[in-house]
Amino acid sequence: MNELRKAIEAEWPRLEVVIGWGLGFDPYHTRPLFVRRSEDLSGLIWNPFCVQNLTGYLVKTPVVKAEDKAKKVGICVRGCDSRSLVALIQEKLVVRDQLLVFGIPCSGTVDWRRIAVQTPLSGVKSARFEGDLLLVEDNGGVRKFSPDQYLARRCLRCVHPNPIIHDVLVGEPVPPRAAPGNRYRDVESFEQQNLPDRLAFWQEELDRCIRCYACRNACPLCICQDRCIAETREPRWLTQRMGVPEKFLFHFIHALHLAGRCTECGECERVCPMEIPVTLMKEKLGRIVGDLMGYEAGIDPEATPPLLTFNPAETGI
Amino acid sequence: MGTMVFISPERLAAALDRLAERFDLWVPSASSRGGGAVRFRRYASGTTPVLDRLTALSPKEAVQPQVESLLRFRYTKDAEDPGAIQLSLEDRIEVKPTLVFGARPCDARAFLLSDRVFLEGPYVDVYYRARRESTFLAGLVCREGDSACFCSAVGGGPADTAGSDLRIIPVGDGLVIEALQERGEPLLEGLGEPASDSIQEAAHQVVEEVSGRCMGELDTSGSIDAFKSRFQDGDYWREVAERCLSCGVCTFVCPTCYCFTITDESRNLQGERLRSWDSCMFYQYSLEASGHNPRPTRLDRYRNRVGHKFSYFPEKYDGQFSCTGCGRCVRSCPVSIDIRRAVAGLKENLCECP
Repeated sequence: MNELRKAIEAEWPRLEVVIGWGLGFDPYHTRPLFVRRSEDLSGLIWNPFCVQNLTGYLVKTPVVKAEDKAKKVGICVRGCDSRSLVALIQEKLVVRDQLLVFGIPCSGTVDWRRIAVQTPLSGVKSARFEGDLLLVEDNGGVRKFSPDQYLARRCLRCVHPNPIIHDVLVGEPVPPRAAPGNRYRDVESFEQQNLPDRLAFWQEELDRCIRCYACRNACPLCICQDRCIAETREPRWLTQRMGVPEKFLFHFIHALHLAGRCTECGECERVCPMEIPVTLMKEKLGRIVGDLMGYEAGIDPEATPPLLTFNPAETGI
Repeated sequence: MGTMVFISPERLAAALDRLAERFDLWVPSASSRGGGAVRFRRYASGTTPVLDRLTALSPKEAVQPQVESLLRFRYTKDAEDPGAIQLSLEDRIEVKPTLVFGARPCDARAFLLSDRVFLEGPYVDVYYRARRESTFLAGLVCREGDSACFCSAVGGGPADTAGSDLRIIPVGDGLVIEALQERGEPLLEGLGEPASDSIQEAAHQVVEEVSGRCMGELDTSGSIDAFKSRFQDGDYWREVAERCLSCGVCTFVCPTCYCFTITDESRNLQGERLRSWDSCMFYQYSLEASGHNPRPTRLDRYRNRVGHKFSYFPEKYDGQFSCTGCGRCVRSCPVSIDIRRAVAGLKENLCECP
């Protein structure tokens, strides 16, 4: 889609660097792209294969920033990413004025792993869209996938497809994929199971965890970076053992540190090489925060996330 | 070709059950709900091997477990003489005969590379050696390569047999198992029926067809020196790895990454010395006791990964790369960092960036 590139080109004089998406190792995988020279703008793309949430690059060292204070950092955000950005602004981790936000209404992105579970593909030759159908040609011929089949789980439950904040809107707003009352359907169906089954589910899922910490490092709001409790050596809070209890402890610390902050962007789950549905834990917390405190993360840049309102002087807690 | 037996789909479970009687058997399998990444797991009767999809992890954990106990220790105090503390150590190595069923050629070759590090000396790793000597590999002729694969570019190939004791050749719905090494012959006993001439012919055809495939292109010539010339080129490493998240995915899914850390974990007066996988992508990996970190940024760390695989390792080990082209680091990287691009670019425009 050239619309995004054109919009960025039009703003280029005000920008020092733009964070967007470029082609990855094949035409159906994309990568974060940092553009610092106008001649590289042609590498920018936007399509339903663009999966990465780019906002983490604004806060994780080495931070992408403009050296020339008169210029700004351009960042491309979908609806979900814009909520991460709002959360970062709330916590004063990024300065809004230093950014030029290119907002993109998004109808969802492709999850190749979900497709592979339904239909193993071999030798993918091409992938294109016909309406909202994804047509993939592989050694077995042309196969058609509907949005229900190819969209990432986070996209199927998306209620904010349009950017919450933006300076330039690229494209027309799109309708949400899920109704607000339906956004926690995965948590609800999980909770239909009895406790032993839920325990068995997490035991099996977390057993696969290899503690690579991709979930943490891809999370735009996991900002402790190299000071994470999971790896501190003095004191050593977590053992090096690889039992489910150790893995559970890490994932739960991760989730709890995000309670009321997590915007459920789903990056943690997307990047997991072992395909563990780790966002589900954060969805549960998001729901609790919504029910108890009437708060939805990443919506209002002026709001304070409920668990950041702690005041030591307050009495009666 | 060696002796061949044919295992029909109906007999596969019985064949695996039989192998599991003699071996700690590892097979690629999915989670019970069908989803989730395919990885090598210890076989239990009823496990369905998944041989038509690439695995997220290599089977290296069969020989290099993600965590293992090197020794147990215990301090004993003397009530009469509190200053006298006795230390007792126990370092039993428990190893069972192991068979990895369905390792792909890239995975099988990886064991040969790690062998050089752990077995060639000057220091031999006795824990590694004990496991490795009792591990058999049944390699799978690989027909599932994708756009991330590049085994053919680093000395392997989708029908390569290096490192395998047995070869698994998918024929129709069944599997032909061929003994490649003498020590593989006895494993075939009672596994299936002797392969008929027509099945043997079909197996030959599969091998021939797959052998002809070239998986991936990458010019690795001169990478040892090209890497050194690029070492200080900050712009190059920023271009290659600025997007790196510094997670451990590439190293943990890699069949040839073998780095580990050792920790003593104790409670009261007893504990264990653990060895566990470590990753050069982690900040703590290179953090020194003084607080100095020679590889403080993710750019430094990614550079090290490329250097180790395509410069330092081949320099030390007769030009062999510490990479078998399995493509896992490319496929699993959350931000699509492509080590092929990082290696290919080493030689590009070198004169401009001395």
